[in-house]
Order: sequence, then C-alpha cells, then structure tokens
Amino acid sequence: MGITTRRIVVLSLLGGFAVVMALLPIMGMPQTWMLYLIYFFVFLAAANMWNLLAGFSGLLALCPAAFIGLAGYTMTILTWLNIPFYVGILVGGVVAALFSILISGSVFRMKGVYFAIGTLVVPEILRLVFLRWRPVGGELSGGGAGYMVKGVSEVIMQETYWLGLAVAVASIILIGIILRSKFGLGLAAIRDNDTSAASSGIDVFRLKLYSFIIAAFVMGVAGAIFYSYQRYIEPNSAFNIRWLMIVLLATVIGGKGIEEGPFVGAIIVVILHFQLARYGEISLLIQGIILVVIMLAVPQGITGLIRDLRRSGSFRPG
Amino acid sequence: MSQEVLLRVNNIDVFYGSLQVLWDVSIEMKSGEMVAIAGANGAGKSTLLKTISGLMHPAKGSIEFAGMDITRMNAYDIAAQGICQVPEGRRLFPNMTVLQNLMIGSYSQKARAKREENLARVYELFPILKERQNQLAKTLSGGQQQMVAIGRGLMSNPKVMIIDEMSLGLSPLFVSDLFRVLHEIRARGITVLLVEQNVWRTLHEADSAYVLETGRIVMSGRAQDLCEEEEVRNAYFGT
Amino acid sequence: MDTLSDLATPLTMGILYGGLYVVIALGLSLVFGVMNVINVAHGDFVTLGGYVAFVAVTSLGLDPILWLIAGIPLFFIMGIVIQRFLLYRAFKMSIDAALIIAFGISLIIQNASQLVWTPLSRSLMTPYSFKSFQIGEVYIPLVYLLDFIAAVIVMLVVHQFLKRTYLGQAITAASQDRQTAELMGINPAVVYQYAFGIAMALAAIAGVFLGLTFPFNPTSGVRFLIIAFGVIILGGLGSMVGTFIGGMFFGLSQALGGYFWGPTGQLLVPFLMVLIVLTIRPQGLFGR
Repeated sequence: MGITTRRIVVLSLLGGFAVVMALLPIMGMPQTWMLYLIYFFVFLAAANMWNLLAGFSGLLALCPAAFIGLAGYTMTILTWLNIPFYVGILVGGVVAALFSILISGSVFRMKGVYFAIGTLVVPEILRLVFLRWRPVGGELSGGGAGYMVKGVSEVIMQETYWLGLAVAVASIILIGIILRSKFGLGLAAIRDNDTSAASSGIDVFRLKLYSFIIAAFVMGVAGAIFYSYQRYIEPNSAFNIRWLMIVLLATVIGGKGIEEGPFVGAIIVVILHFQLARYGEISLLIQGIILVVIMLAVPQGITGLIRDLRRSGSFRPG
Repeated sequence: MSQEVLLRVNNIDVFYGSLQVLWDVSIEMKSGEMVAIAGANGAGKSTLLKTISGLMHPAKGSIEFAGMDITRMNAYDIAAQGICQVPEGRRLFPNMTVLQNLMIGSYSQKARAKREENLARVYELFPILKERQNQLAKTLSGGQQQMVAIGRGLMSNPKVMIIDEMSLGLSPLFVSDLFRVLHEIRARGITVLLVEQNVWRTLHEADSAYVLETGRIVMSGRAQDLCEEEEVRNAYFGT
Repeated sequence: MDTLSDLATPLTMGILYGGLYVVIALGLSLVFGVMNVINVAHGDFVTLGGYVAFVAVTSLGLDPILWLIAGIPLFFIMGIVIQRFLLYRAFKMSIDAALIIAFGISLIIQNASQLVWTPLSRSLMTPYSFKSFQIGEVYIPLVYLLDFIAAVIVMLVVHQFLKRTYLGQAITAASQDRQTAELMGINPAVVYQYAFGIAMALAAIAGVFLGLTFPFNPTSGVRFLIIAFGVIILGGLGSMVGTFIGGMFFGLSQALGGYFWGPTGQLLVPFLMVLIVLTIRPQGLFGR
C-alpha cells in the first residue's frame, strides 16, 4: 500500500512539474530563463543516462561526447539535405544508438579501467575523423568541418524548449521504468557482483549492452536538441571532453547510483555553468575543484547525503 | 624452554561484513613452543590467522604479543614486530627471483641489520635455494616454492612464525622433510604456529594444539593428549 | 624504391621520438602496477612539466634539461602530496572514485594552465632546437635523438632502482601481490606515495622532452595519456623491454600516420591502434 501511494505521489508530482514547465513559455517566461532551462533539460537527460551506465550498470563509459556529437552532426547534416530538424533529432538518436552497437563489439570486451580508457579514445577518434571528413561539400561555414544548422532560423526557442523538456521527462520515466523492471533487478545483481550474477543465469553482457544502447540513444537525442538550439556544430566542441565533465559532475554532485541524483546535480551544474560563465576559464577550473571536493567529502552526492541524514534521524525535511 | 606467554589471543569475535566467523576464540603460545591449530576446511582457521597478522581486526576481544597490545595494529607493523606469516598457497612474488623473494622478507628495519646472517641460515636449511637463487619464483616446483616461502619468513628475523597449510599439495615424504626443518627452526628459539587440515600429522608434531570447529575452539591441550582423545580420533582419524 | 627512401625519414623519426612515449608510459604503468588505477591526469602532469620548464627557460634562461635538476625533486614532492591528500583517500573508497578524482585533477591542471599560460601552443626553444644530423640521406632533428637517449637512460635508472633498492623491491612486490607484501612489513600507503612521486618525476622529465619535440597546449595531455596507455597494453605491465618496444611502435604509427594522412593522421592512427590493441587483448597483453 505504502509503496503504491508513494508511487502515485511521485508520478503526480512529476506530471505536475512537466505541465507547469510546459506552460511556462506561454505564460511569458523571460528568454534567459528559457535558456537556462533548455540547458538544464539537456544536461539532465544526458546525466540520467550516464547514471544508468556508471551508477546502475557498472559501466564507467567516458564517451558521452561521442553520442552527443554524432547525433548533433547527423541532425545538422540532415538539415542540409532538407530534412526537418525534428526528424533529424530522432535520426541522430538512432545513429548514436547504432554507433554504440558498433563500438560495443570492441569496448565490451574490455573490463574496468580498460573499458574506461577504451571509451575515452572513441570521441577523440571521432573528433579527428570529423576534422578531416566533410560530409556535405562546398557550402562550409567556419573552419574545419563546422556547419550551420540549415533552415532553423525560423524555429523559435520555445520549440527547442519543449523538445528539451520532453527528452528530460522521458529520461526520468525511462530510468524509473528500468529500475523497477526485471532489467533493473538484473543490473542491481551485476552491480553487486558480475561473476555471481552471471552464474545465476543473468546475461551480464546483454543487460550492459541494452543500457549502453539506451543511453546512447537518449544522449544522442538530447545532444541533437542542444545543437538545434546552438545552430552551429564543429568537431572540437561536439566531441569535447567537456560533455563528459558535465554529465560526470551532475551525476557525482547529485549522487551516483541514486535515481534522483542527476536531477539535483543538473540544477547545480547549470547554475555553475551560467554563474561562472562570466569568469571565463576560471569556470572550468572551479568545476574541476568542486568535482574533487565533492568526491572526497561527500562521495555519495547531495541526494545521498540527504538520504543518509534522514536515515540517521538527524534531518527531517519540511 | 622459557614458559612466558609470547602470543595471547583473548576471546575474539571476528566478522566478514555481517557474517560472524569466529566466536570467542582464545589461544596462547609460550615462547619456543610449536602450537597447532587444527580443523576442517571452513572452520575459521585462516580467519584466525588473518586476524593475528592484522589483515583483519576482531569486533571483540584482544590480541597481545610480547606484552604489547596488537589488536588494532596494521599488518605491516605487526610483521615488523616479529610475527611472520607463511601464507596458504605460498604466495610468492611470481616474477621476482628466489633471492629477491627472500630479500623482501627482510624489509623491516630490524630484519635488514641481520640480513646476511639470516640468508646464510636459510641457505643452510635449504641448500637447493642457493642453487636456484636467480631463478624466477614461478618457475619452481611446489615444494621448492614452500621452501622459499618459509625462507622468506625466516628472513624477517621473526619471534613467531605462522605457517598456513604447509603440507597442502606436497608429497608425504617432502612434508616430513619440512617438519624436520620446522623443528630446527624451533630449536633456534622461534615459536611456530601451525595451521593444518591434516590434523593427525600436525598433532603428532606439535607441543600443544587447539581444535577449531565452525568458528569455535572445541578442544585444546597438549597435542599428545588430544591424540588420545576419543572424540578427536572419531572426528578426524576415523578410528 | 623511391617511396622506401622517402619513408626512411618518418620511420627513423618515429622510432626516435617514440622514446618520449616510453618515458610517459613508464610513469603511468608504475602507478597502474601498484594501485591498479589508471591515473587519467598523467598526461596533464606531463604537459604541466612542459609548462614549468617553459617558465624556467623563458624567465630564468635555463636550459630545460638542466632545469630538471630542480624539476625532478619538485614534481616528486608534488606527487607525494597529491597521492597522500587526494588520490589515496579516493582509492580507499573505490577504483571508480580514484578515477573520478584523477579526472578532476586533470581538469584542474588543464584549466589552470589555460589561465596561466593561455591556450596558445608553446614549445621549449633552445640553441639546439633546430639542429639536425644526417644519416645517409636522412636528416634527423637532434631533439628526436635526445628523446631516444632520455628514454634509454630513464629506463635503465628505473630498472636498477626497482631491482636494487628495498623501496624498488617493495614497489615490485606490491604490484605482484599487495596483501602478501603487507605481510612482509610493507606499508602499501607508503609504496603508493613513492610510486606516485616517481611517476610525477618521470612526468617532469617527459614534459621537458615533450616541449623540445612537439608544440603543446593545455589540452595536449589527453592524447599523451591515450598513447601511453596504448604503450602499456602493447608492451605489458612491468616489462621494460615491452614498454620500450611499445613506445617505438606508437612513435612509428604516429610518424607514418602523419606521413600518409597529414596532421590529423598523426593522432588518428595511434588512437585507432590503441582501440585495436585493446579489442584484441581486452585485459591488456598480460591479462591482469
């Protein structure tokens, strides 16, 4: 009974949140707020997926930039072929997912640190490939393989906002469903012990692969939405390690392996992103320091800390 | 033989996470004795050893060595105090030579001073090791590896030498040789703690003994007396 | 035949500056060996070594190699401090935590270098920077030869240190069996500290030769990390000869990639090699 009522409360809260968020632009929300929220949605969706990988599936995958950049490029290139950008966003997700299947043959053979480094190489390779390769010839804008997203100048910010909201909410629901399904149970067993999970009949490889593909798809969609808002993409930023830093920071600050962790973490990362933006390079330096300090002082993240405090009875919210 | 108690384990409880493995275990070893801890597989022998050597710590109880409380000490500090362990399965450093394995035994400051002297002794006890000193440890036979493991322990200039499952996987003839060496080691004043599944053999070699069963000491006394005990005979010798 | 003589130059150069990768990889494998943690900040420590040498060259007018007399102890101490107060604490939590901390340190170094030294590419200029020598038809820059010599010297010194000193033997023992090493009276925390200090000293050396060989910028670290990791996997952990051959191999693949596909090929080929090597030998060549 208790669990069911709690679930209803959580679901209605989430629903209410989504409705309010969706209505905000119509009610005349300031442009800057909308901008913050677009970033928040994209970061949240990506961080939720990274949490699925690193927090729940034991996959310290250092390649989110590969999925994000690849999907961003797919969407952009498709606009040059006169395919609408919202179709491109979905195709981008699919391409990212297909790419994850492609590299899984290689990186899934690696374990632990080898997997981490193996996945770290992937976005670097893509960056170099895209620096050389110009898929759509001629009408280049900017240096290298930089492209404008074609034909989105008439797209209003609100559309990107709603798309971002949709992928963020979808990522929350997706994680919720996964963790409460047989799939999630299998992942929990794997996280506790790879070998014993395997010996109790769980197909470790397949479950991890599913996580990887799902994460690639959603990260890709989120990334493509981000670049449809940015309207410009080039290899050095698309495959930049900063994407990794964003998802890692959001997940670690919020609480790795905790369902609501990335939500809290993404809020903080967005605030940091914009508050520190005016300080230029110090911004990333400070974010690095925050990462180290949080990891050492509060390794369970903010939500983890609150949970621990509540459990020990010294903290009562509300 | 002096009769002071060198190592004393007082009523320890030990857990693996939430699983209790040892209940109220007490043992004591007098200087220069050879003490045996016997018991079947899973009785908690290895846990007891790990706790004495500081790799694990008891939830309750204490451990004293030469009048000093070592209950909470780290393994590396305990080793430097003069308790050495010859671990189960030898655990040599496979890609180091025989000589390097022996030398690493004399890592602690006190042992370094007596390094040459102890090395000469080890070679005296196990002449074959001198011949093989530049060979990688992993290329040796099981018996020779056990010699290196014991030698490595001696290099630390110990007061107490703990040997875990020495005879495992070795031929009976070879085991007899090793026991001869152990008696020699003891004759030099080193207290020996033997832990064995091979109860019968161990009880015949040791001065006193403890029998562990599912984490509790069920019997203790002079080894010879235990051999006579009906229960022990029934449980372990099948007579 | 013409292509072959054309290839002679990149082949020789690749082998020679592969020495740089040997030095970087040695530092990485020392820490990896004892702690089983890939220090993802190692590449950034190397570029930091380059920047500090850059300061010594430009403001003090020192020769960068001479600077190492001060640079090595400086980095050694820095390593001990970082290990003791940051990495070891995370290491006690989990390997993931240590990896994330190392990543954080990497970000901090990158962005601090960007603040202090700007994102511009730098290199260490010396009177011998543009000197070259000739073997047959092939002209080789002198600094590439210096890379190779440095690699040989560093390897011999590290090898002798690991073999002949108690500390070196303790590091070797701990990397083969941590628990037994502890039973021998070896304090693992101390071993980690020294291993990390030495790795940092090697980063200082690598940084100098990096600066002499290639231009570098604050974000160069990642690519040296990846290549050094490739060297470890290819060469095998704890095998000096393997590391040496691995370094040469990646030097060669970089030189040939550059020869055939230009500047992007210079990195693309070695990165692809890392991925291929990892795929073929997923636990590394030594199967740890």
